[in-house]
Amino acid sequence: MPERALERICYVEDDEDIQRIVRMSLERVGKMKVEVVSDPNLAIGVIARFKPDLVMLDWMMPGMDGPTLFRKMKQQAETATLPVVFITAKATQRDMEELVALGAAGTISKPFSPKDLPDQLRAIWAKLP
Amino acid sequence: MSNLANGIESVHGAAAAMSADVRERADPALVRADRVEQLYSQLPLGLAVTVVIGVIAAIELHEGRLIEPVLFWAGLLAVVVVLHGLLYLGYRNDAHRSAHTAQWLRWLGIGAFAAGAVWGVAAAVFFPSQADERQVFLAFLLAGVISGGIPMYAASWPLFAAYAAAIALPFTYVLATFGNHLFAEIALLIPLFYGVSVAIAYRLNGVFLSGYRLRHAYQRQRVELEEARRQIEASGRKLALFAERSPIAVLELDGEAVVHDVNEAAELLFGYGADELSGASVKRLVLPTYHAEFDREWQRLVASRQPLSATKIRNLRRDGLTVVCEWTVTPLVNREGELVSVIAQGRDVTAQLEAERMKKEFTSTLSHELRTPLTSIIGSLQLINAGVLGEAPKDVMDLTEVAERNSQRLLDIINDILDIEKIDSGKLTLNPQVLRLDDLVREAMVLNKGFGERFKVRFEAKGELTKHEVKADHKRLLQVMTNLLSNAAKFSPEGEVVEITAEEQGPWLRVAVHDRGPGIPEAFRARIFGRFNQADSTTSRQKGGAGLGLAICKRLIEMMRGRIGFQDRDGGGTTFWFELPTHA
Repeated sequence: MPERALERICYVEDDEDIQRIVRMSLERVGKMKVEVVSDPNLAIGVIARFKPDLVMLDWMMPGMDGPTLFRKMKQQAETATLPVVFITAKATQRDMEELVALGAAGTISKPFSPKDLPDQLRAIWAKLP
Repeated sequence: MSNLANGIESVHGAAAAMSADVRERADPALVRADRVEQLYSQLPLGLAVTVVIGVIAAIELHEGRLIEPVLFWAGLLAVVVVLHGLLYLGYRNDAHRSAHTAQWLRWLGIGAFAAGAVWGVAAAVFFPSQADERQVFLAFLLAGVISGGIPMYAASWPLFAAYAAAIALPFTYVLATFGNHLFAEIALLIPLFYGVSVAIAYRLNGVFLSGYRLRHAYQRQRVELEEARRQIEASGRKLALFAERSPIAVLELDGEAVVHDVNEAAELLFGYGADELSGASVKRLVLPTYHAEFDREWQRLVASRQPLSATKIRNLRRDGLTVVCEWTVTPLVNREGELVSVIAQGRDVTAQLEAERMKKEFTSTLSHELRTPLTSIIGSLQLINAGVLGEAPKDVMDLTEVAERNSQRLLDIINDILDIEKIDSGKLTLNPQVLRLDDLVREAMVLNKGFGERFKVRFEAKGELTKHEVKADHKRLLQVMTNLLSNAAKFSPEGEVVEITAEEQGPWLRVAVHDRGPGIPEAFRARIFGRFNQADSTTSRQKGGAGLGLAICKRLIEMMRGRIGFQDRDGGGTTFWFELPTHA
């Protein structure tokens, strides 16, 4: 379990409505700092600048999907070690297991409850080494 | 098909009979009818000869004698002849004579004996009173009428035996009692002559009988062969029609995969005429990239002679387009074990595969495109209802709660439909892990507490929950529990308690949810675990749900090697239960 509390989250998601809800949930309910990225192609740069504690990736995005972005992050020194949580509406159990095997910190399926989202993330955070 | 088999069977039967004694197969009634017909057909000739001989005998015997006995005898003979004539006419006019053979044979037997007796009377009355030369004439005459009877009655030796006995007996008696040494010796010879004649008649009878039997046996066989031929022809026509009119492409190939015949559906499917396909290798209908694979499969088929079914092959049409066909390939092997031909039956499944792909894509789209907006809707409403954004007027909060609840309901239905689709396509996979049953039950109760409160129903564990473990998918087992608990809450009266038990039952662990609801209507019991089923269709509007929940539960529990059921509860209500094998 990391010594400090979970505070800074970067969220890569193309759907603006969900962006807003997640931001509201994490900021208002979870009292966290949130940076949202709409374009997955710009994500690595934003993440490198924002230096989040944890990155949340949407699975399906136009241009580049979550798993591809995740693999790219693994190749970049600044982002390679960041814990990543996937948010997805359609991944199968097997897809999720595969991602966890690749090093994803956890998965949250859509629709999630914004009331509980901060707690879900903290639970994943607590399990990290 | 069965007709063809029958036809072949009959031909085999007929052939087998040929090699055995065919005469055994003749119908005895028909043979007897033939014998009677033969006997009667000779009657006119016999009568004519009898009249001629009778007239000569009468003239000869009355020379120098009293006329009365001769007239009496001639009268007797005339009566017998006339009666025979009537018998003959009666037989000829009987439309059903072949059915009355026993009767006609009996009458003819009586007639034969009577005719013989008339000649016997001639022997007894006239022999003693005649001069030597007339006695010779009479002896010659009697021997003649006995001999003449052989061909007359050859079709039935007992008739001849009766006829000849009626002549020979009185004659023998007269000779034996005449007092003349020579005549006594002749009397001894007559029985011998009689015996030989009967023996000849018996032999002749056998020859006739054999002939009749042969005739009928062959006739019968001819009819059967004709019937068999007709059946085979009909089966052949039917088979040809099956292939010809079938919407499935049928190709007949030889062991080298060369096409010999095709039906209309094959022509339509591939765009080649039958004459173009025949004589060429069937490989022209297979994409060249698959030729090597085709050769391997073909060799294996020809060597093993095992039929292939549901084999999908990408086929090439004349116009260059490809179609995916599902083939059933059957090698035809004759009795000697030689490969006669290979029948290939194919169906174009391109459209079907495309439909399956589209269904998959549709489900995937449904899953994503419906859940994403619902995420926003439910998320927004939850944030408002949780009071994160501050208090809103009560009416507003009431309505946002209604909106959240109904969005959740919509989401549940979508999830159920997706689960059913996954079950149908075999894509539902489980992630089994060892779980303590009491933990799971408590977790489910906590998760559904809010749902229960909405219906003013409390969930309560009754007795001690078993601490034994099961091997099951945690998420899916919670889904089953949630289904049972929410059903119990929906149908319980307000203020009631839904009791949950978890206990060991032999090798099983049984979890049961006991409600005080209205019970399951009799008519609904059989299909309660079916799809889109609800006891009362108005229920879905009042209580929510698509009627898929229990169908999904049943499948999930079965996939975890368990079973699910329900029973009436003492004091009213229903107990829904599931059992899973205890994890050792």
